[in-house]
Amino acid sequence: MKELDLESLSREMPYRMPEHFLDDMTERVVSQIGKQRKQRRERKFIAMFAGAASAAAVALLLLHPFGSSRFDIPDYESISQCASIDEVFQTMSAEELGVYSMMSNYYGN
Amino acid sequence: MKRDLNDSMQSQGSLSVSDESIARMLCDDSHVEQAVRLIMQKYGEQLYWHIRRMVVAHDDAEDCLQETMINVYKYRSTYSNEFPLSSWLYKIATNESLKLLKNRAGFTLSVDDLGDSLKESVREEVSPNADETLVLLQEAIALLPAKQKMVFNLRYYDDKSYEEIHQIVGDSVNTLKTNYHYAVQKIKDYILEHQL
Repeated sequence: MKELDLESLSREMPYRMPEHFLDDMTERVVSQIGKQRKQRRERKFIAMFAGAASAAAVALLLLHPFGSSRFDIPDYESISQCASIDEVFQTMSAEELGVYSMMSNYYGN
Repeated sequence: MKRDLNDSMQSQGSLSVSDESIARMLCDDSHVEQAVRLIMQKYGEQLYWHIRRMVVAHDDAEDCLQETMINVYKYRSTYSNEFPLSSWLYKIATNESLKLLKNRAGFTLSVDDLGDSLKESVREEVSPNADETLVLLQEAIALLPAKQKMVFNLRYYDDKSYEEIHQIVGDSVNTLKTNYHYAVQKIKDYILEHQL
């Protein structure tokens, strides 16, 4: 019976590896990794921006809640504090009274 | 600065850069591309042939090697210094090769059913003046079940110890020895049967 000694066989492979294959592969891999890193950085930036925008929105809501007087029309003097109509008429000149009279007639008082 | 580092690495030769240094660079975002280059220079050829012996066709080996290196980058944080860098790289390359073979097998077949098609690929891929015994050896390897094939290749071609193969494949040393023993027997039988 024939015996085969595998250890005596050459370890050479019967295939070929194309020339410059490993160099080309290295460049391809590095470029792909570069793209992935760039995408990761962009995603990180977007996440940071979104986080900052959310935080700003929350802060704005807390500082200026809806219904707060800060958003309301500014207060005016209450009517009780206003000068009486008679006092106003007394301080008006003849010319102003003339204009008032004319406007009153025009708009039907 | 980065350019200087590149030049110094190239002048030193990647083989002189320790695996520990490469692993450290791999985990450092500013040196990750440099680490990948060093891995390709130091282990690229070994990984390519390891994959090629599993998947046979060059085009498949090319895809697998590329995926392997991308996974090295993607999963670099999972590398533990407990194991040699080379074992970790071989493990990723082995998984990628098995993944490709599983995809090819589809849902109905197992990886071990691909023997005949891999054997046919051997004939298509060999160089014109290749030694016939070496071609028969590759055919015999192609017909082996995946586990026996992995163990045989790692031991016979890559001179890995059973402990290293255990780190790559995961089985116990005794199981690996049994797999190797059966693989050698099957290969010898095949070559003797087909040799003129």
